[in-house]
Amino acid sequence: MNKTKIHARSIIVMSILLLAMAFSPLVSSFPTGISGVKDSGCNCHGATTSESVIPTIEGLPEVYNYSETYELTVGFTGGPSTIGNINLGGFHLWASEGELASNDATVQRYNPSEVGHTEIGNDQTSWTLIWTAPASDKNIEFILHTNSVNGNAGGGAGSSGDEWNRLTAKVSAPIEVLEQANPYVVLSTLIVISAILLVITVTYIFYRTNPDSFNWKTFEPWICEWLTSTDHKKVGTLYFLAGLFFLGVGGIMALMIRIQLSVPGNDFLTQDQYNQFFTLHGTTMIFLAAMPLINGFANWMVPLQIGAPDLALPRINAMSFWLQPVGALLIFTGVFSGTGADTGWTGYAPYIVSETAHVGTTMWVAGQIMLVASSTLTGVNFLTTIAVMRAPGMGWMQMPLFTWSILVANLMLFLSIPAFGVGLVQVYLDRVIGTAFYDAGSGGDPLLWSHLFWYFGHPEVYVVIVPAFGVISEVIATSARRTVFGYRSMVYAMAGIGVVSFIVYGHHMFTSGMSPTLRFVTMLTTMLVAVPTGIKIFNWLKTMHRGSLVYRTHTLWALGFLVTFTLGGISGMFFPSMAMDLHFHESYFVVAHFHYVLVGGTVFGFFSAIYYWFPKMTGRMLDERLGVLHFLTAFISYNGVFWPMHRLGVWGMARRHHTYFISTEEAMGSLPAEAAGWNMFISVSAFLFFFSNFLLIANMIKSVIRGKKAPADPWGGWSFEWMTSSPPPTPSFGHFNHGEWIDLPTLKDSNEEHIGNDPSPLVKWFQSLMVLDDENEEVNN
Amino acid sequence: MSGDYHGDDDHEHQSAWGPHDWSHGAPHNSWAPIIMSIGIGIFLYTVASAYSWGEMVDPSSIPLIFLGLTISFFGMIIWWRQDASFDGIYEPRATGTPFQNIQIRKVAMWMFLMSEMMVFTSLFSTYMRYRLGLTPCVEIYESGSWIVNSQTIDSGEAVNCFLPASELIASSWFHIAPGAINTFALIISSFTIVQALRWAKKPVGSVDEEVRRKRVYRYLGSTWILAIIFLTLKMVEWFVGFYIPEIGFLGLHEHDIVSLVNEGYTIHADHYHPHHGWEDTHLAELAAANPSEFEEYFANIASIEGGYVTTDAVMMADIRVSTSTFFVTTGTHGAHVFIGIIGLTYMTWKAWTGGYTPQNAVSIEYFGLYWHFVDLIWVLVFPFFYLY
Amino acid sequence: MNNFHTASLEVGTLVESLLFYELWNEYISWSLLIGIFTFGWLFHHSFWYTSKEGEDWENPDKIEVGVFPRHNDDMTLEVAWTILPFILIIYLTYISWAPLDAVWTSENGGNHGFECTEGQSSNNQMDMNTGIITSDCYHVLEITGKQWVWSFECNPNDDRWTGDIIPDRGFELSTNLCDIGTISIEGYGMQPLLSLKAGETYLAVMQSEDVTHAPWVQILGVKEDVQPSHKTTLWLPMIEASESMILCTEYCGDAHSLMSAGLSVHN
Repeated sequence: MNKTKIHARSIIVMSILLLAMAFSPLVSSFPTGISGVKDSGCNCHGATTSESVIPTIEGLPEVYNYSETYELTVGFTGGPSTIGNINLGGFHLWASEGELASNDATVQRYNPSEVGHTEIGNDQTSWTLIWTAPASDKNIEFILHTNSVNGNAGGGAGSSGDEWNRLTAKVSAPIEVLEQANPYVVLSTLIVISAILLVITVTYIFYRTNPDSFNWKTFEPWICEWLTSTDHKKVGTLYFLAGLFFLGVGGIMALMIRIQLSVPGNDFLTQDQYNQFFTLHGTTMIFLAAMPLINGFANWMVPLQIGAPDLALPRINAMSFWLQPVGALLIFTGVFSGTGADTGWTGYAPYIVSETAHVGTTMWVAGQIMLVASSTLTGVNFLTTIAVMRAPGMGWMQMPLFTWSILVANLMLFLSIPAFGVGLVQVYLDRVIGTAFYDAGSGGDPLLWSHLFWYFGHPEVYVVIVPAFGVISEVIATSARRTVFGYRSMVYAMAGIGVVSFIVYGHHMFTSGMSPTLRFVTMLTTMLVAVPTGIKIFNWLKTMHRGSLVYRTHTLWALGFLVTFTLGGISGMFFPSMAMDLHFHESYFVVAHFHYVLVGGTVFGFFSAIYYWFPKMTGRMLDERLGVLHFLTAFISYNGVFWPMHRLGVWGMARRHHTYFISTEEAMGSLPAEAAGWNMFISVSAFLFFFSNFLLIANMIKSVIRGKKAPADPWGGWSFEWMTSSPPPTPSFGHFNHGEWIDLPTLKDSNEEHIGNDPSPLVKWFQSLMVLDDENEEVNN
Repeated sequence: MSGDYHGDDDHEHQSAWGPHDWSHGAPHNSWAPIIMSIGIGIFLYTVASAYSWGEMVDPSSIPLIFLGLTISFFGMIIWWRQDASFDGIYEPRATGTPFQNIQIRKVAMWMFLMSEMMVFTSLFSTYMRYRLGLTPCVEIYESGSWIVNSQTIDSGEAVNCFLPASELIASSWFHIAPGAINTFALIISSFTIVQALRWAKKPVGSVDEEVRRKRVYRYLGSTWILAIIFLTLKMVEWFVGFYIPEIGFLGLHEHDIVSLVNEGYTIHADHYHPHHGWEDTHLAELAAANPSEFEEYFANIASIEGGYVTTDAVMMADIRVSTSTFFVTTGTHGAHVFIGIIGLTYMTWKAWTGGYTPQNAVSIEYFGLYWHFVDLIWVLVFPFFYLY
Repeated sequence: MNNFHTASLEVGTLVESLLFYELWNEYISWSLLIGIFTFGWLFHHSFWYTSKEGEDWENPDKIEVGVFPRHNDDMTLEVAWTILPFILIIYLTYISWAPLDAVWTSENGGNHGFECTEGQSSNNQMDMNTGIITSDCYHVLEITGKQWVWSFECNPNDDRWTGDIIPDRGFELSTNLCDIGTISIEGYGMQPLLSLKAGETYLAVMQSEDVTHAPWVQILGVKEDVQPSHKTTLWLPMIEASESMILCTEYCGDAHSLMSAGLSVHN
């Protein structure tokens, strides 16, 4: 068998395995049983449905009248239930619309759409209850579960020999209405369509680069190269594509959330679906979109900027990347079967280890464990690369600021992420093998999770923003055609943020019942973050002073970043003031703040990076006019989305709520009447923002296919990446010759006191501690 | 963006599956990352499908767990095959301060150990939170509050408290023997790995190559055996237990050392009571010292005969938090030993084929760094979890 | 200051905490100042120091590929914008400091005195400059969260073995001071209602039966998590008669957003 066949077959096998993981419903996620909610009902007795139990539901009209009240009788016949048993049976009824209510003491209401029997009611085989039809046109579904009980014992062990079954009933609206779309189907379809579009784009690019030999024989080595490459540029491109893809997926989820919130009391998404959507939106955006985008540029640019041939550990680098798509599959498996994680991206204990959290949560945790492993490897790789592979003449204080930012970010990441990893493993073990780290009933402490999570979580948000600082430092300086103002204070400020990030995380827990002393300390330290951040902003502004600012698309994005990030930074100052935080916590003010720093900071920063480095990465210039259009539409609609959220938060709109109601003359609600209009405005802006970003995609595809050829240094930067050709060769710099890299570039310095790689006294002391490999060391042994 | 798979620097590249040429200083292509990732993904996925809250919910996933492991292992073999040709000549060295002239991979190993340090720090934080935060079972037992709250074997209610494994393990020399032997096994294995490095590093000519080959693989092999002993004894201590016969001339009496799991010290122990102890023997004294507290209890449950309380009450405890911390922390350390064994297997094989020369002996050093770290962690785990 | 208080109500806010608005106003003024300064600077430089692509430009920092350019720094300036923001945040920390006593709970002492004896009134006094409320004494009530209902208890019981901080007060609060009922809220259905008296201060002692929750007493602009592992506390100093909602603001599962309650304060 030749190599082509082996590769073709292994690719097919791997694709099948991945598809199976994505689409095979999680075995326990479609429980044949019932448990508390619609899909998983009452405490199901026995594993599978029993034909002998026949549930019945009476009193349902075929077509309902608006707001009319119906008395329903639910019950069952058959099964082991016989008169004279201690208990006879139980039921659980779910209605998609209207309100269910209890009629007597045998029935209890869990919430407006769910009822079940009570303790008193379990010696019956039929129950009556009340259902009030909605005032609008809906097709309504009822799901009834009944247990037929043989009453062999009390307590939990007494369910053996019992049987159960399920019944679905439908009631139509007075006017015929269309069946509502299932949001999962919408989401899955959109994801699949995006994936197919991605494949088509890749194939098209392959075709365009090599139109004559468009066949498997040439495609096979091409695709295998991408799957097996350990070259930092190829892995970087893979990261970049994965990041953009998931940015789109997270965006689709954001849009569905915004549709749901556009009007008060909306029911586009059920609460259950909404919970999964915001959980996955957060997880996707942070771990699967922002981090890969950053890693994509870090992979591409760090070796180029420090004049290294590749990263220190290329194969580990490929490993870091490939863990991510597989981890992403695990994170999304639950969604495809309708029971995705519904814990919020913070996954607070003990909810995350409670049985009421969806089974998909376990897979979500498993996927994140893989992402943690990936980040740890990335951290090791970049720290090593930057520490050991700087080109001759480049001391620590001559590194480009983007490299500095990646160094600081990875140092923070890899010192903090093990805590998260350990927390995740504990949760995984709790959910899978039944340990009790976070089981409050056994003495487990929910705050321990919060501490482990935020010890990682807060540095993590800086990990996401600090590389954007690096990008902006490069872009502003290059665009203003000046050195960045106060290079050294920029570095110290970044390092300061890195240090402070570890001692401020307590501000996420101001309302958690954490010790007052700790709260007070974190209040002080959190205020401190403003100082290094302020230094950076002022330095950027001063960089423009007496410069010659050239307006290119990346310049616009960098200036836009300055605006939005400053606003986000200012709103951040409101939180450490505890008396205000008690109101802001978990409100839309928080949502506004972190979208201002994460979208207005990280995403805008990396949009800037795309326009800045795309010519270097592909050798093609992007279209400036499309770029400016992209900036204007996206920047304006972005502010339309997130600026009004500040006001909503102060009014009292709670985060993670699937709907809200406004106060009127007649009825009490949680928000004033204006909130409805602003929410609609936000939703419309969100759509505009989402679609404006297609301009970027179009621009990139257009440029790859027929963009203008890019010169080596199109913008006039000074660092090494502008020295090589666009795109750069492999290895990026130098040649390897018997254990030594030769022909590496040497950094010159126009300042007088150039220290380069000369060790400082501290480093000399450090080196005296290290035993260098001395060939003659052990001759006498 | 186009792949130049057949580019000119590719002439020495053999295969993405097998050995590759190190003259580029770094591997160019490898199937290992993608295959290993898929294997790990399948493993995590199927374990979570098969088990839920400690119960097996889907037996059909069990074979798939092994499929996942097999795929990861296959990926690892690809990695090793590519690595086996490494002869050390092309090992790149650091150019930047402060690590100038040190092998890049050695620096990377130190970096990795930094993050490993944080892993164990987090586990120890968990341990400290619970050890210091939860009331020790002994204290509750001695206070007698469990009697008033009737958290006994009869009522079926349990106290939440912390029961360190050391209560069981440090109770006798025989219980502590496996852990103590393990400590020595790990310390000796740190010595043997250094010896392997020493022999591999001896300059060419100063030692017969056959002697070198034998010494290196024997020292690596001893390290391997010591690591296996470590894990075996751990399994004995956790699951199996052991039996000491009566040996008169040594003064040994017959002992049946029960394993932790058989003792009931498991992660599901929400109704734990030791096989002996926790009976209310102290009650008489407590009652004498503090009669008002126990008034109600005496009135309802106990019968007093001549000032002596007769009851068979035994305290019940929910010790799942204590057991989880113990098994997961020591288990994480055990997993590190296990990963070490996998690495050692490969290295012993490579040494057996004569693969180590002074030029690439430094690979043994990389592994040694990791191995010393695992040893060091044990030196912390042992007192915290086994002695106190 | 009281004028602002009513004015803020007119723009439709539901939050009536003067304490919150005092801090908010102070912060907003500083934010505006910093915003105007920064954006003014940015605006000026973006239009003043510009050039066109390809246009000649001086190269003061000797930017050249492969050469680390001239340093462009000014120690005085850099130190200035390290020290000045530092002074500002010290000031902001200082003004955030005083209200801490008003939001933190302690069993005794503090702004709200000791627990009221039978028939005693809190006699709340609000400092119109800071919004801080002081009282003679407080009443203890209990809030319990479980998926997905709030329940209130005006006369909680003492449990000495778990070391509760609730002292056994030995009398019951009159229904005028604290009462529990139900209320139908549109969209939320029937929900529990807590009726309290204006001018009285309450200490809510809270615990959860399952997972973490957090009651957001919107009208006071306060919230505190409700944990299954330990008790938490929250001050509820009531000033004026009002009707408002309590929402759940720590994500707790399926019906999280419908987990609510009414809060009615009467004179």
